[in-house]
Amino acid sequence: MKKNFIVFLVLLFLIIGNIGVFAGGGSETTTTEEPVEFEFWVSQTESDRLATIKVIAETYMAMNPDITIKVISVEENDLPQNIQAAVSAGNIPPLLELGAENAINFGSEGIIDLDMTLELINDIGLNNFYKGALELVETPQKGTYYAVPFHGWVQGIWYRTDWFEEAGLEPPGTWETIEKAAEYFYDIDNNQYGILVGTTEENYTEQCFTQFAISNNARIFDKNGNVVFNSPEMREAVEYYTNLAKFNPPGPQTWRARDYYLQGKMAMFFYSTYIMDDLAILENAAGSLTGDNFADLTGTDFDPDLADKTGFVPIISNTDDSSYGVIVALALTEQENEAVSQAARDFAKYLYTNDAYITWLHMAPGGMNPVLKGISDDPDFLNDPKGLYNNYGEEKMNEIISGLSEIKRFGIVEGNVIEAYGDIFSQNIIPQMIYKITQQGMDIDSTMDWAESEIEKIVGN
Amino acid sequence: MNIPIWNLKKQNAILGWKLVLPSIFIIGILIIYPIMSNVFLSFYDVKMVGDNTFIGFNNYFNIITDPDFFNSLFTSIIYVLSTTIGTTLLGLGVALVMNKEFKLRWLARSLILLPYIAPVISVVFAWKFIFDPVNGIFMHITVENLHLFSERFNLIGDPKYSLIVVIVFSIWKNFPFAYLMLLGTLQSIDTSCYEAADIDGASARQKFYYITLPYLKFVLGSLIILRLIWNFNKFEEVYLLTTSVKVLPVYTYFKAFTGAFEMGQGAAIALIQFFILIFFILIYVKKVLKW
Repeated sequence: MKKNFIVFLVLLFLIIGNIGVFAGGGSETTTTEEPVEFEFWVSQTESDRLATIKVIAETYMAMNPDITIKVISVEENDLPQNIQAAVSAGNIPPLLELGAENAINFGSEGIIDLDMTLELINDIGLNNFYKGALELVETPQKGTYYAVPFHGWVQGIWYRTDWFEEAGLEPPGTWETIEKAAEYFYDIDNNQYGILVGTTEENYTEQCFTQFAISNNARIFDKNGNVVFNSPEMREAVEYYTNLAKFNPPGPQTWRARDYYLQGKMAMFFYSTYIMDDLAILENAAGSLTGDNFADLTGTDFDPDLADKTGFVPIISNTDDSSYGVIVALALTEQENEAVSQAARDFAKYLYTNDAYITWLHMAPGGMNPVLKGISDDPDFLNDPKGLYNNYGEEKMNEIISGLSEIKRFGIVEGNVIEAYGDIFSQNIIPQMIYKITQQGMDIDSTMDWAESEIEKIVGN
Repeated sequence: MNIPIWNLKKQNAILGWKLVLPSIFIIGILIIYPIMSNVFLSFYDVKMVGDNTFIGFNNYFNIITDPDFFNSLFTSIIYVLSTTIGTTLLGLGVALVMNKEFKLRWLARSLILLPYIAPVISVVFAWKFIFDPVNGIFMHITVENLHLFSERFNLIGDPKYSLIVVIVFSIWKNFPFAYLMLLGTLQSIDTSCYEAADIDGASARQKFYYITLPYLKFVLGSLIILRLIWNFNKFEEVYLLTTSVKVLPVYTYFKAFTGAFEMGQGAAIALIQFFILIFFILIYVKKVLKW
């Protein structure tokens, strides 16, 4: 009897403790009693961003002394093999920051804790998320999710407004205007290039290509998951894209070549809104990089006004409109130890509280856009340390952020998630196809046949 | 005190085992176990989560029917042969020169070692900067100043040239090792041999063929065999410089650790690679070195 009473008291205490958490909303106490240590893998690799994330984690640890969080940086391209290694070793981290594609990929492998994820989404409030963001991480069984959307970016063409004006060209928003401008500005003899689209066997290539393909209604799957890759629309898109790549800087190119744009050697390039941050840094740097401070730097190609001369087109049109973006999400993985699971979930929830969330988003203004409604109007959010949002204006920022709801992907057709696409994405089938055509000079039809057979193989598995 | 000899022998043997046991243990854990595990995995369809399924020789079958495998095997063979010949010949040439007396020889000798000592990653980035198609100094000089080429191109990235670049890089990076070993041996050759040859009226070429080369034979043999093994398994130098050159280890990496994680197939390729290497080395030892 006495024992039962004690059990009852303990249960009561735990329940009251829990109510405290929910009622407090933003106040971060957890119910974990045993000291818990876990790893938090983040896809950010820049040292200043990691420093900020560590501060956020340390703030949380100060409020919850029983919890130790190790922040580990894993480059997005390396994430699949690192997860593979962690799974083999049986120590998969309970909390990951990762792209939606990887979340779906890992989710279909069965390493995601779906119940815990749904619980967290409901805690934060299902309706607080932008619908488009949630759709990108939804499982084929509607209503459950592979991860919790965290932040996102949209991609588009960044271009030299001054060059375009001088040449009397229209902003690059359609297939025609893009190709015309790329050809016009391509002048290899003077070391100047028309455009940068991805041609390496990496994700970036697929990001660039997706936007063109979908703007031509070319899809890999139909809504029932049947492969419809080898269509006339897709062939047109491949032909257009590989032709456009001729106005690239020489050889296989990836996003790193954006430096050529910053150096004033390129007219257009595909990039996410992350570049706003870099352009702003460039602007900030302008003050310190004058000849007064560094005599050696006078006479370099450095252009302090580049940010003002840069325009952005997020939507590409041909037979359809298409925008492309990535939702970065937090994934909760299956854990043997319930306490670790719980602690990771509580920490993840903390990351969505206003202070922590805005601090996180401010690491890369423009690049990390909120997926929660209401944040983009929040004065704290709009007052970023680099003054970027003031610079671009609230309206422009809202336009960019609203783009997150309109993202179109190969993996989601008319609201249906095609799981097999995760494997196609992570095996870089599309980038390999582009590479074979643009770099190895293989012909379009046979390479598309090759890509289709690879896709069929994956779907067959 | 008289201890029977057989007992002493036995005790010696026990002591010997005790001394080598820690090494056997460590080698067992770090080398034998992974190899056995690799052999084991190569017969399975390896899953990220859940049980692996036994599929017999299917992984091997998938590999030998994959044209990409033969492409990468072919690339590997070209890479290994060229770099082995290149590093050995360059090392030998430089060692012969550095064996002569000249001013500031000590400085030249240490400078030559730099490529070998420098960390791969820093050297790779330096090369990438030098050969960058847009900003690199190489294109600037060859295209703009000397007009050797009509327009800029991507020497490292373009699959047409990247294999050559990777080979040149490897020779440049690794020849100092051959040079160091050969110079050491050259210095140990007794000068009286050459004096005797001079008296007999031998030409420089005859001295090289009949005195220097026989002395160097074993070092050269070992250098070649080591370079064959090292470069056949070389991953980082190739992968960091360019992903356009798919030698076997890079091919294995892409199979096993990217995309759909064909760990089973990766294991099978590694094993095939191991047997190919053993095969070549046996031929080399039996036919060329005649050891």
